[in-house]
Order: sequence, then structure tokens, then C-alpha cells
Amino acid sequence: MAKERKKLKKKEGNAAKYTTRNKALNRLQIKLPEFRRLCILKGIHPREPKKKFEGSHKTYYHVKDINFLAHEPLLETGRALKVYKKKIKKAQAKKNWSLVTRLEANKPSYSLDHLVKERYPSFIDALRDLDDPLTMLHLFATFPAEASYKIPAETVNNCRRLSLEWQAYVARTHCLRKTFISVKGIYYQADVAGQKITWLTPHVLSQVVPNDIDIRVMLTFVEFYETLVGFVNFKLYHSLGLKYPPILDSKLEAEAAELYAVMRDLGKEAHEASEKEKDSNDFNSLSDTDTNHAQEPVNTESRLAESRARLASLQDRLSKMAKPEGNEKLLGVTDDDENMEEDENEDDDTRQCKALFKDLKFFLGREVPRESLLLLIRAFGGVASWAGDNAPFEESDEDITHQIVDRPTQGHIFLSREYVQPQWVYDCVNNRLLLPTIDYLLGRVPPPHLSPFVDNEKEGYVPEYAETLKRLQTAKEGKVLPLPGEEGSKDTEQFLESVVANRTESMEELRKTQKQAILEKTYQEELTKEIAGIPFSGSIQTMDRDEVDGEHVVEKEAYSHPETMDEEPPSAIAKAMMPRKARKLYAAMQIGKQKKQAEIDLLKERKRKSERKQNKKVGEI
Amino acid sequence: MRSSEKKQVEESKKAASNGAVVSDINGVPSVPDSAREDISNATSESEDEDWHNSSSDNDGDSSSISDNTDESSDEDDEDTKAINEAMLDYMGALEERRQREALGSEEEEPRSARTEVESDSSEDEVVPSRNTIGNVPLHWYKDEQHIGYDLAGKKIKKKEKQDQIDSFLAHTDGSKSWRKIYDEYNDEEVELTKEEVDMIRRIRAGRIPHAEVNAYEPYVDWFDWDGKGHPLSNAPEPKRRFIPSKWEAKKVVKLVRAIRNGWIKLDKPKEKPKFYLLWGDDLKATEKTANGLTYIPPPKPKLPGHEESYNPPVEYIPTQEEINSYALMYEEDRPKFIPQGFQSLRQVPAYSEFIKERFERCLDLYLCPRSRKKRIDIDPESLIPKLPKPKDLQPFPNICYLEYHGHTGPVVSIAVDPSGMWLASGSMDQTVRLWEVQTARCCRVWSLDGPVRHIAWNPRKDLGILAISLQSKVLLLDLELGTSDPDEVSKLLALNPSVMDNDGDGALVTWMKHENLKALEVKHSQEVLSITWHHKGDYFTSVAPDANTRAVLVHQLSKQQTQNPFRKLQGRVVTAMFHPSRPFLFVATKMHVRVYNLVKQQLSKKLMTGLHEITSMAIHSKGDNLIVGSKEGKICWFDMDLSTQPYKTIKNHHEDIQAVAFHTAYPLFASCADDSTVHVFHGMVYNDLLQNPLIVPLKILHGHSKTGGRGILDCCFHSNQPWLFSAGADSVIKLFCD
Repeated sequence: MAKERKKLKKKEGNAAKYTTRNKALNRLQIKLPEFRRLCILKGIHPREPKKKFEGSHKTYYHVKDINFLAHEPLLETGRALKVYKKKIKKAQAKKNWSLVTRLEANKPSYSLDHLVKERYPSFIDALRDLDDPLTMLHLFATFPAEASYKIPAETVNNCRRLSLEWQAYVARTHCLRKTFISVKGIYYQADVAGQKITWLTPHVLSQVVPNDIDIRVMLTFVEFYETLVGFVNFKLYHSLGLKYPPILDSKLEAEAAELYAVMRDLGKEAHEASEKEKDSNDFNSLSDTDTNHAQEPVNTESRLAESRARLASLQDRLSKMAKPEGNEKLLGVTDDDENMEEDENEDDDTRQCKALFKDLKFFLGREVPRESLLLLIRAFGGVASWAGDNAPFEESDEDITHQIVDRPTQGHIFLSREYVQPQWVYDCVNNRLLLPTIDYLLGRVPPPHLSPFVDNEKEGYVPEYAETLKRLQTAKEGKVLPLPGEEGSKDTEQFLESVVANRTESMEELRKTQKQAILEKTYQEELTKEIAGIPFSGSIQTMDRDEVDGEHVVEKEAYSHPETMDEEPPSAIAKAMMPRKARKLYAAMQIGKQKKQAEIDLLKERKRKSERKQNKKVGEI
Repeated sequence: MRSSEKKQVEESKKAASNGAVVSDINGVPSVPDSAREDISNATSESEDEDWHNSSSDNDGDSSSISDNTDESSDEDDEDTKAINEAMLDYMGALEERRQREALGSEEEEPRSARTEVESDSSEDEVVPSRNTIGNVPLHWYKDEQHIGYDLAGKKIKKKEKQDQIDSFLAHTDGSKSWRKIYDEYNDEEVELTKEEVDMIRRIRAGRIPHAEVNAYEPYVDWFDWDGKGHPLSNAPEPKRRFIPSKWEAKKVVKLVRAIRNGWIKLDKPKEKPKFYLLWGDDLKATEKTANGLTYIPPPKPKLPGHEESYNPPVEYIPTQEEINSYALMYEEDRPKFIPQGFQSLRQVPAYSEFIKERFERCLDLYLCPRSRKKRIDIDPESLIPKLPKPKDLQPFPNICYLEYHGHTGPVVSIAVDPSGMWLASGSMDQTVRLWEVQTARCCRVWSLDGPVRHIAWNPRKDLGILAISLQSKVLLLDLELGTSDPDEVSKLLALNPSVMDNDGDGALVTWMKHENLKALEVKHSQEVLSITWHHKGDYFTSVAPDANTRAVLVHQLSKQQTQNPFRKLQGRVVTAMFHPSRPFLFVATKMHVRVYNLVKQQLSKKLMTGLHEITSMAIHSKGDNLIVGSKEGKICWFDMDLSTQPYKTIKNHHEDIQAVAFHTAYPLFASCADDSTVHVFHGMVYNDLLQNPLIVPLKILHGHSKTGGRGILDCCFHSNQPWLFSAGADSVIKLFCD
């Protein structure tokens, strides 16, 4: 009897919690492609059971996940769509064209809104996972909408639009923090609602879709990402009091000045919103006419001139009002109150970012990546124009301070402006200061472009140029921060305190203070040199050597002190007392450390070799 | 109507081709007119004439057109030939004319009419020529007298052949002779008229033969279309045209129902805004997903480092050799990304792997099992246990204070006098030396007849007896120190007469007097490797590992007796020791330590060391703790009250541990090994049973050099000072003081 009894279903343990993929397919009664699509849309991924009861080669899903899928309305919608497609096919086969057209016209649609809400119950959750969607959308925005790739043109356009809207938001709120030109593309990092969002855009060159990828998978992802980013954009625009979606200036869009087109609309809308509240303010009305002029497609030269004149008067008035905001005006973002509010909300970082390119006017050459640079310059408070119709101002504008070019030689050179390579903008942004342009001038090989995402101290290797940049930064901060003497004394006090507390800590402190002293010294030297009129780039080399020597001396001093106390590090004996597990872990960590050290050594070795080579060359000359 | 038009065009064409006939007869060029008129006039009479028409003429006629078109290409080459051909082709027409002349003028009208009819019909019939043989090869008549038959059936005789000269003359003389053509078929000479020559010329030029014909006359639609339905039908409207369709009505009903039920939507649904405010204002992150499972966010990709830059610092770009060397690496070790440097931004190409990498990321997102892994982000130094500082645990041997030089071979064993004044050392150079501890002076040297294996000092202070193992012998040597009582010692070392009697083959050992020295000799069957004294100084054990069941022997000095406590031993015995206060014997074999109760004569404990090969053992002065050294460089500390498993295993040496030692007074223990180091530990045993012993590594003592692959062979503590002696294979003994 007992044998005949039905085998009871497991109620606990791995077998009850997890199920294999094939079982899930049977349960849901769908085919694998459809399952894959649902998983992508619902964000369901396999999970690792503690014990793989059906073998290690199988994929396991959580039973709850599968049940969750089973209750998904999309599952039914998918089936209905499939049936509908059959209907169309049948009508086509019967050559019932009227029915085909009618069916095609009334095709049932579905939306993924509920999935967005379900997967990201709060806005922060959505922001946290925004890296991949943004990268994907930026990639798809550059895709060829070719039939051979099976990428619908509509998707490409939508991706382009969404990415531009995002960029416009970032530029407007000045929340861009870091950027980096890599071989793969351009990385950006923005800080939105306290979340660091990093995305990568490919270089603006045509993409070739390789054969060995399944574009359907990517398209499914993109489908969800489009919805997600759409809602995120809506929320972000809503928080700014703007209408979403913004209406693009079609003419500007056609001229491939998309970002500008979106921004322009934003400016207009923001203004309109404020206009309802404050009509009497002549400042507003003035700018209103101004922006309206800009909006009109029949924008003749004379009108431009007129608006420029008005702008000038506006700026005059503004300066009287002691409101240092010259750049926003050109975009038409001239809402007083809003800016005030924003200022209150802004943190130091945003304020710093906003003011970086303040009062600077850029002109972009044809050959530079316009979209990227427009985003950067806008996000950091600058004004930019480009070569082409409908550009905000001409190349011949007298006020242009920097022209960004990337060509071997420049034909006509305005003496009033500096011709710099695009990397200058990126480096300035990463270091939050206007670097000296001398190294970045037209036709020169710019200094190395360093990643802002690397913590050099933690990595253990600081590239030469990073040190230079740091020195520049400290030099800049020196003007604002308390005097070096005071700082030093404070540090020494701290040092005295820490000596009592912990020896190792004090060691670090000591080193830090000594480094600081060196930095100060170099700063002083720099100042004297500056006064003497020695060009900066020339002096870098000599200073570096000095500094390196100085550091060596410091380290020697620092180390010599404790070693007299105890010639053998106590840890060497204590290691014997570690349990085996800890010992092995320690050994593994040491291996990792050694690897890292080996990498650093390799870098140093290469650096030395290249320097030697350079010295040789110099010697030969 | 299109077909009728076409037909007309064809008609006119055909008329043109047969135009010679028409123009010759009535000189009226307009063919279509006459054709229309004569449709009804076609008579039967003309038809029977048609009947006679030979097809040959017809053939000739049509071919003349085709030939003409052909000729137009290579006309100039064969001028005369072409003329001849054209003339021959035209023969039909000539014959026709000749025939007509024969028939008479009264027939003119109907004939012309008939030809028109002919041209209309598909089978062209041409007027029969003089000869009626038809389209047969002429060479059939070559040898005949006639060339054929005329209409009446009479033979037509061949003409007499003209003289060549005559013909030549005729050819040259007559101004019209160039127009004359010989018709082979009818055997006659024909003279072409002016019109005919003209026609030939036109044909040759590829034009329409008749000068009067206009090929491009304006099209006249002769059919009068007004008021005439097409196709013409006079049938009355059927009834069904007036009855409303049943099926249509059904369809309409269906549609109406569909519209009512909303299956068919007539007007486009209102477009809802695609995006709306989905989230409220709460900025709190949620951990749980909708299905109640914890949300595991996808891991963020690694952020790019300097090496990924388009213009990285020089040191990040590998040299060509390094890149080449990557090819030799295993695929998994190979770097995924090779840094590249570009002089300017415009030179940066598109990254070919971009889409691939994104695709792989997509795959990772939905295919990779996600699980939360706790990352250990700890400082490796924090793994090292926090121990009390050695400074606070002083005194302990710290610095090398004295060196005892004198041995010429590796010093194998050392032992300190219980009073702490003397140090004895045994060496492979076959000597035993006695040193004054404080001065490092070598007081006495005993040269023996073999390498010394082990020495042990009798724990009684008043005796001064040293036990020395010399291969298979154990010597009990009187050191004759001033402190000892010489009478008692000599009494003890005098050979007991009862032992002499007992001497036999079955005895375990032989007790005898040493020949030269003041010593007692105990002869074993196998080599003795270790000797240990009981704390009272009367009993001692000797271990001869190769002696199988007799490996461990217990000797009593006072009675000079030997007994074998074990009938059987498990494993090769390394060393044996007495408990310092209670009647227990510890026997260390290769992997275990067995504790035997000597009173009950049974095994009381078996300590599981977990070591591969034990080399040495030492017991704490209180007897509850034990350390064991092994060849893997591990020390095991056993707390016997705690368990039979080691309380702590310390892996401190790289090579074989040679000896371990406890200090009798201080909480110190030490181990020495072949890696020429002595590790000194603090090993505090508390009286409180609940508190576990405290073990703190204190110091690693260096100083000995490695000789012949061996480092330090023995170490022992001073009996009452925190000093440590170490005996090295480099034949030096060192004293480490605090």
C-alpha cells in the first residue's frame, strides 16, 4: 500500500524553492523565446540554489519568480497577439485585403508601464539601475535603422530622443560630475538625487552590427529601457516644472543640433510656466520676446542682431541686479524665482560645476564631437556655438573666448580667442578648474587623458600628469583655503595627538604633513617662478624631480624612526598563531597584493624606459 | 477596337508590299480606299483565277521585302549582285504584267478588284506566269528541249542560245540594254520600265517602293462610337438586379454587430499620454521585489581606468614585444583589453567590440544566476590575531649572549644540570663535553667510541649522573662534579652482582661496567635514540625504535633492572617520557601520543595529533600540557584536561622541527628546526581549569648557520633562568638571554 501511495510534493528545501528552466517552461506553457522575452521585461533572472538538485548544468529559477511570471498579464497579451497575427496571416492568404488592412489598423497594443512600477517601486530604485538603460539607449540612438539588421527606425528615433532629453536634463540641472574619453566611447557620470549614474556613449561613427549577436534580445531590452527612461525623464522634468515630452525645434533637429533643440524648448517652457505667475516683471517679458524670436523659424539676420542687442541690455540690467548669471540667458532660461529656489537646493558641488565655464564662450569646429561638447559646456555653465545654420552665434563673434578645434592647422586665427583641443574641456571638467591651455593648443600632442574614476592613491600608482593636476588644484584652492601656515600648525597638533593614540596612524599623519609641506614649498616656488616669468610647462619637469627626491627623504626619515624600537615586525611571529583558514586567506590576499604590486612595478618600469628613451633623444639633439 | 486598328495598319502594309500590282494596273496609289470599296465586290470569278495562283510568286514577293531589309546592312559590297537579285525578285511582278497584257484590257476592272481581295486574304495568290511548272528546281528541265508548259498545257520550247558575241554586242550597243534582264524561269528577256528601276532603287535604299505611299499618314478612327454600347447587348435587365442582396444584408448585420460590440472601432481611440507621473515623492529605496524575494541589483560594470583612455600615459601602453608575448599566454590569462594611444581625438576609430560588449552585458543581465556574495573587504593585517605584546611578557630569551665553541661535529644533544651551573653536550664527533654555563668554558671532554645520539641529565641535583646514548649502548656517566655526593654515585654506578648472574640470552639488556670511564653501561639490542629520566632520578626510559616490541624499556638505576612495559607497540616509537608527577608514561609514535597509566598498566589516553610525523615531544612541568613537534614544522599543544585533539596547532617552521622544550619555571616553550631558527613562545598555563592556556609567540631567534642540510638539532632551557641553549649542526652551542 505504501508503495502505491502518491509521492508527496516537497514542502521545503531547495527542491521546493527552485525549479529548472524547462520545468518553468512547461508550467507556463510557452516557448523559450517568449519566456526569454518575459524574463527580460520582468527582470527575472536565474538564482543559485545552495544545492543543485537536478544537476549543476541546469539553470534554476526561484519558484516564486515563475509564479510571478504566471500571473503576468503580458503572458495572456502575448498569446492574444499571436492569435491576432494568425488572423492577419489567414486574411492575407485569402487575399482579403480589406480585412488585412482593418486588422492591421486595429492591432492590439500593450504597454510596459506596470512593469516599470513593479520593478522599481520607488524613483530611487529606478535611478539606481539607470546605467545600463542609458548606455543601451545611447548605443541604439547611433544604430543604422536598416532593414537588414531588423532594427525598426522608430526605435532608433525614440532612443535618440530619449537620450537627448536625458542629456538636456543633465545639462540644465548641472548634475554632470565626471567624464572620460576612452577608446570605447565617452563615459559620463552624473549625480541625480544622490545616485551616481554612469553611462557610456559610443564615438560618433557608424556602428556595424556584428553577425554573432542576437539583436532580438537587445531589442527586448531596449523596449523596456525606452519605457523606463521615458518615465524617469517625465519624473525629472516634472520635478523641474517642465512639460514632458518637450517639443523639439524641428529645424534645429534637422541640423543635427538636437541637444540644442531640446534645450531650447525647455527654456521656453520654463519661462512660460513662470510667465503665468509673473507677468508684470519686465525682465520676464523681455526675455519672453527674446526667446520667441529665437523660436521663430524665419529668423533673419536683423532679428538676430536685435535680439543680441536686447540681450546686451538685459545683461546690463542683470549686472545692476548683481545676479551673476550670464549664461543661462542665452538659452532663454531666465526664470528668476526658479533659479533662486534652485540655488537654495544646490549643494557646493553643483554650484562649483555651474560656475566652471561661466562667462566663457565656446565655438566648436566642425571636426569635434559636437553633441558631447555641447552637453559638457552647457552642464558646466558655458555657452557654445558651432559651425552651421541656426547656430546661436557666428564664428566671427568677438566675445568667443575658446574655439575648440581638432585639426592639424587652422586657417584664419582670431587673436582674441584660444584654440584648444577638445581634451581640454574634458580635463577641465574632471578637475573642476580651468587648466592652462598651453599644452592643449592647436596642433600639439595633448598631455595624457586620465580617468577620473580612478583613485590613484588607492591604486598605488600616481601618473605624472595626475600629480601635476593635483598641484594645480591645490594651487587654486590655496587662494580660497586658510593660509598654508595655519593649516600646517593644525596638522602638527593633530599629529601630536595621534602619536599617543596609534603609532601607525601617526606615521601616516606624519607623512601627510610632510607631503603637505612639500606641496606648499612647491607652491611657493611656483609662485616665485610665476613672478619671474618662467613658462609653466617647462618648470613642471624640474619640479617633479625635486618633489620625488623630497618624498624619498621623507619616507626614509619616517621609517627610520619606528624601526629602532623593534627591529622585527611583530606580525611575522603572530602569523604563526593564525588558524589555517585565516592563514590561507591571508596568503591569498598577499598574492593579490603582489599582483597589484607587480602591475605597478611594470608601469614604473615602462615609465623609466620611456623617460630614458626621451632623454636619449634629447641628448642626440 | 485596338485589334481593328492593327488590322488596318497591317492591311496598308500588305498593300504596300503588293503595291506594284496596284500601281501598274490603275495607277491609283491609295490602297485602303479601294479595298474598302471592294469588300462587297469580291466575285466568284476572281476566285477561280486565284485558284491558279502559284505560291512561288507569293514567296518571291515576300522574300523581296525581307531581302531588302537584310541587304541594307551589306549593300555596298555586292552592288551588282544585289541589283540582280532585286531584279529576279521582281520577276513575279513582271510576269503578272505580261500575263495581263495577254488577257486583254476588258478584264482590267475585276482584276484589280481581285488583287485587292487577295491582298486582304492570308494566302497570297499571284497571277500565273507564262510557265506553269510551279516552284520546282529549274535544273529538272536542264536537259529537256522545253522549259515548261504554258496555260494551255503546251510545251514552251527553249529559245535558241544567242551567240556570245551577239549578246555582248547587244549588251554594249543598246542604250537600253542595262535594263534588260534574262528571266530564266520563262526563258525570255525582260526590259524594265523606268518606274520599275526607280522602284528597285527605292527598295535598295530601304524605302517604301512606291513614292506615292505615305507611311505616316494621320490616323483616322473610322469607327463611329457614339451611342453604341460595347459589347453590344440588347438583353433586358435581369430581375436580380432589382432585389436587394441577402448576403450583403447578412454582412451588414455582422458589421453592425461588430461595431456595436466594439470589435470594429471606427474612429481612432484617443491617444493617452505615453508617459505620466509614475512615482510619488518618496525617495526611499526598496529592498524587496513585488514577488517577495530580495532584490539583487545587477552588479555595476567596472569603471574605466587610465589604461582605457584614448590618450593614456605612456607607461600604460604595452610595447610591441609585450603584446606579442600575450599570444603565448593562456587565453584566460590574456588581457582582455590592450591599451592604445592616439595623438588626437579625431584619430580615434569606432570601437568595434562595443555592440558585442553590450550584448554580453544583456546576456549577463538575464542569464546569469544572481546571488548576494559577501565581499570580504578586510585589511589583511586584521587577520593576524591580536596578541599581547612580547614586551609585556618578558623575560624571555632575546639576544645571543654566549657561544660555546669546541665541538668539531654537529652537536646533537644538550642538557643542563638541574642546578643550572653546567651544560653537557653530545656531538657526532664522538665526544661529550661539559661546559660552565656562565663562562662558556669547556671543563671536560670525554671521547667516546661512537657518535652520541642523546644525553640526559639525572634530575637529582646531588648525583651528577649523565645518561648518554651511544649507538646501542646507554652510558650512565659520573661527571664528578664538586656538588655531588661521590659515595652515593659510586655505589649507584657499581655493578650490582645480582645483575651479573642474570646475564643470559633472554635478557632485554645487559648491565655492565665501562672499561675506561667511571660509568655504567647498558647494552641494548638496537640503537638507542632517546633517553629520559623520571623526575625522581631513579628510573629512566630508553627508546630504540628498531627493536620492535622492545622499543621502549624502563630501567631502574638503583636496582639495575630493566623491564619492558609493553608486550606490543603500535607504530614506530619516537620518544617516551614520564609524567612529571604522576605514574604515567607518554609514548610518542609516528602519528599519535599514547598515555599509559603505569600503575593500572593500561592505556589511559590516545592523543590524536593530526601530524604526519612526530619528531619530538615535551611535557609541561605540571604535566597537564604537552607539546609535540613534527616534520611538517608544526607544533601541537595538547591540553590533556581539554581533549585528545590539539588545543592549538601552530605552523611556524618551514622545515623539520628537531626539538621542542618547556621551561620548568617560566611560562616559556621553544622549538628548533632545520631552518636554523628557534621560535620562543610564551605558554602560560593557568591553575584555573576553566581558563585555557595562553600561547603567544615571542621571538624568532636566528644565529645558527645551516650545515649539511641541517640547522638546529637541539634546544633546552636553563633550569632556573629564562635562558635558552641551542645546539646547531654548525657545531656551535649558543646561549640566548633576555
